Amino acid sequence: MARSAELTDDLFQDQLNRLGEGHFQILCWCSMSEAESIKYNITNCFDDLKHANITRTKQTAVSIVETLWALCYVDIREERNRKNIYITSHGAKALEKLIKSNRYTVKKSLSMEDLKS
Amino acid sequence: MKVIGIGGAGGKIAAKMDSENAILVNVSQTELDKVVGGGERIVAPIQSIAGQFRGSRKEPQIGLEAYRTIRRRMLENIRGAIVFSSTGGGTGNGITKGILEDIVELDEHAEGGHGLPIQDKTMFCLLLPDDSETREYVENSIDFLSDTLAGVIDKGCTGNIMLFSNKLKFADKIGEDAYNQMIVDSLNVFMAIPQKNETMKLLELHIDQEDFAAYIAKPYFNHFCYFDYDRTKDLGVQIKANANSLLLPPEEAIEVMFLLEVPPGQDHTMFYDIMQYYSKLKSPPVYSVVENPALQRPFLTLSMLYSRKPIEVLEEYNQKNVDNKDAIVQRSINQYVNLQKVAVDMDDEAKRAGAEKGINSEVLNSLRRIGKL
Repeated sequence: MARSAELTDDLFQDQLNRLGEGHFQILCWCSMSEAESIKYNITNCFDDLKHANITRTKQTAVSIVETLWALCYVDIREERNRKNIYITSHGAKALEKLIKSNRYTVKKSLSMEDLKS
Repeated sequence: MKVIGIGGAGGKIAAKMDSENAILVNVSQTELDKVVGGGERIVAPIQSIAGQFRGSRKEPQIGLEAYRTIRRRMLENIRGAIVFSSTGGGTGNGITKGILEDIVELDEHAEGGHGLPIQDKTMFCLLLPDDSETREYVENSIDFLSDTLAGVIDKGCTGNIMLFSNKLKFADKIGEDAYNQMIVDSLNVFMAIPQKNETMKLLELHIDQEDFAAYIAKPYFNHFCYFDYDRTKDLGVQIKANANSLLLPPEEAIEVMFLLEVPPGQDHTMFYDIMQYYSKLKSPPVYSVVENPALQRPFLTLSMLYSRKPIEVLEEYNQKNVDNKDAIVQRSINQYVNLQKVAVDMDDEAKRAGAEKGINSEVLNSLRRIGKL
């Protein structure tokens, strides 16, 4: 059992090591949006990644989100014809670790600011 | 009289002066092609291929080097010719400098040391820039007047030198083509003196082609003007009021030529007043009086030969040049920018870093609020 937990921790750490800045920012943005009760969808995600100079293509934005979904870090729910992104508890733990590691700095979400204003 | 135009400005005026036979000289075929009218065209090739198309780039040295490639042809053509050239650009200034240096040489060796014969003297019409024109034009002109021209004047081996100025062009905002035409029209009034003597009824004396050639072969600056003559007014006042504004103002006349044209039936003895005026100044003039049936009032064409140290001509340019240079220095001083010293306050930096951290804790708080942590 202990061995199994150890393996899980190792796997989790390896997953974290492979996450890029795009993954990190999306996890931040979708969690902060959820805290503000703002829906955060793939289009917002693409806009923010562009603004943060992380990617200029929608395919890359989609693939980053799909990776997060495959790792169970986010849920994607079809709501009113929008694919909204919600962070999971696994994603929250991953984000916590990334923040504490100081690997990346949180960048502003343009979409969230627009929606708030 | 053969007409030669050197460089862009000189070529354009020469082509207007003699639209069929003017010889146009330039370092660039492209520049020559731009000139409308004129006859033979001489390209002075310079070593650089680019130079063939770019002209002499306001550098008289390029014009001078180019002159050496056409020296023989030019020396054949300049004898007894009238040369138009500007002193501001590279081509006119450089090639004319070459010609003047060779004229000094020719004059020393001609006729067993007696100098060039009258019929071989070259008359120069030099176009001086306005003092507000490009700095290079003014500086080139200063060099030309103080070095090349001063030497030639001391030797006295050219014909008349006419110092046309762009001052009026700039003051009255006249287009280049119209201004060139004004110069040509004005010069034609003076050059028509012998022809009028040939075609009109002579009333007093006669200025024939030989007299005129002898006059324009004299190595002085020539200021000519023309106006309706009023015998009731002082001649000095009339000359001052009608000075040729295309030319630099004259100094005291050394020699004078005038042609008085009077309408038929009018008393022409007013020419004695003009004679007396110049007798008092100890410059007895060469003159003639003719009857011109096309006139209503007497018309006087007057030419004054004067000597002037080019250094005096330069004074105005020099002053302007000094002013321009002062202005450039002042602008450089004004453009000097004091770089602001940026002090890094470590306390502020720490606060800024703390604020950045703050956004991290904000994210973590968000996660806790939504119950994901």
